[in-house]
Amino acid sequence: MYHKRFILPLTISVLFISCWKVRNVDDINIPPPPTPQPQIKVWGFKPVYGTETEAKNILYSPGAKPVINGGNIYAYQQYLFQMETGMGIHVIDNTTPSTAERIGFITVKGCSQISIKDGKIYTNSYDDLVVLNFSNFNTIEEISRLKGVFTEYRYASPIVQPPTSGYYQCPLYDKFVVGWVKDSVYKYCYKN
Amino acid sequence: MKRVYFLFLLIGIAFFSCEKASDSNMSLSNATGVGGSMAKFTISGNYLYAVSSHYIYTVDISDPSKPKKTNQTELSFDMETIYPYKNNLFIGSRTGLYIYSLAVPSAPKLIGEAKHGRSCDPVIANDSVSYSTLKGNSFCGPATSGLYVYDIKNLNQPQLKTTIKINEPLGLGMADSALYVCCAAEGLKVFSIKNPYEPVERKIFAGNNYIDVIPYNDILICWSAEGIVLYDITNRLLPVFIKKIAN
Repeated sequence: MYHKRFILPLTISVLFISCWKVRNVDDINIPPPPTPQPQIKVWGFKPVYGTETEAKNILYSPGAKPVINGGNIYAYQQYLFQMETGMGIHVIDNTTPSTAERIGFITVKGCSQISIKDGKIYTNSYDDLVVLNFSNFNTIEEISRLKGVFTEYRYASPIVQPPTSGYYQCPLYDKFVVGWVKDSVYKYCYKN
Repeated sequence: MKRVYFLFLLIGIAFFSCEKASDSNMSLSNATGVGGSMAKFTISGNYLYAVSSHYIYTVDISDPSKPKKTNQTELSFDMETIYPYKNNLFIGSRTGLYIYSLAVPSAPKLIGEAKHGRSCDPVIANDSVSYSTLKGNSFCGPATSGLYVYDIKNLNQPQLKTTIKINEPLGLGMADSALYVCCAAEGLKVFSIKNPYEPVERKIFAGNNYIDVIPYNDILICWSAEGIVLYDITNRLLPVFIKKIAN
């Protein structure tokens, strides 16, 4: 009878365990299957690696770029911003909403979030916080970079998965992913 | 010990007054912009608050050239979104709505929570009411999908007032008497919240997969899967389509 009081909490605990979301960091820890399976290759995404300098270079390119994996939006004065998840920030001139257009793109690899105060953009780049001054987009500059501040993005930054759903080659976590290309890959990692 | 609390209180009040000042100067350059309800970054006063699945990070940005992390709190629930209102942060997670006080802005403190079934969950709020959308599905969890309305006059004990069933609600935003709820492929729903605890559906704009919205002065900025859609909301309850900036 002593055991009975454990049954309910135990059942609830088990229920929740089954609901855990598999995070990227867990993907690489999945134990191999007991019997060898034939490795099937499919058309998917392969990571492109770069040096830390390449990966963390901030660059403004004037002109509209297509939105592929559009993310969060943000309004500041006459501008709108939309994240291109993992790749950078679209800048939209909204001075006159009826003619609003994308006017440029700020490359910030590994980004997904944005907030702005006093003309300064705060965004994430891999696990770093980056502060950008955009008083003049053409001379956009990185004012500061607080490295490794977002500990949980270390292995789960937005760029460690390809832009669209499907199979992809699992990236190496000690390298900087700077982009994705289509290639024939093993059916292992999958993005919903 | 008392002195320490007094100091914190003073600092808290100081920051609170800073925030108020910037609120009333929305159009000036020394202001903070506005994010959507699905954001995981927000600035309040001199601090940037960010959430990842299991952490709230607090970064002192009083000197933008030398940002400094002042706090990192680990939480056991999956956090999805962060929404600032006055001196509080509203955090939408997979297990419920959590309210953090910024009385000590360098270290947010949990003061209230309302747990619900597992789901995805952005949240917005004002002085007396908060609106969350819960998306229950195989990925997010089994909660009933819909709009959840909480009375938050007592921040320590949010009370569920109403739920309105919506199949796949996502981001949301409010402007005065109007509440805008993104309902993915179903469209953008406009609710009257003249009675804040009893939203009444007034209009639906179909044709795009709506994900999140920002009411910004008289413009409603919508993030849809197909592009950015702009509406004129001079009349809050009757948005007028202006433009779509296609992807």
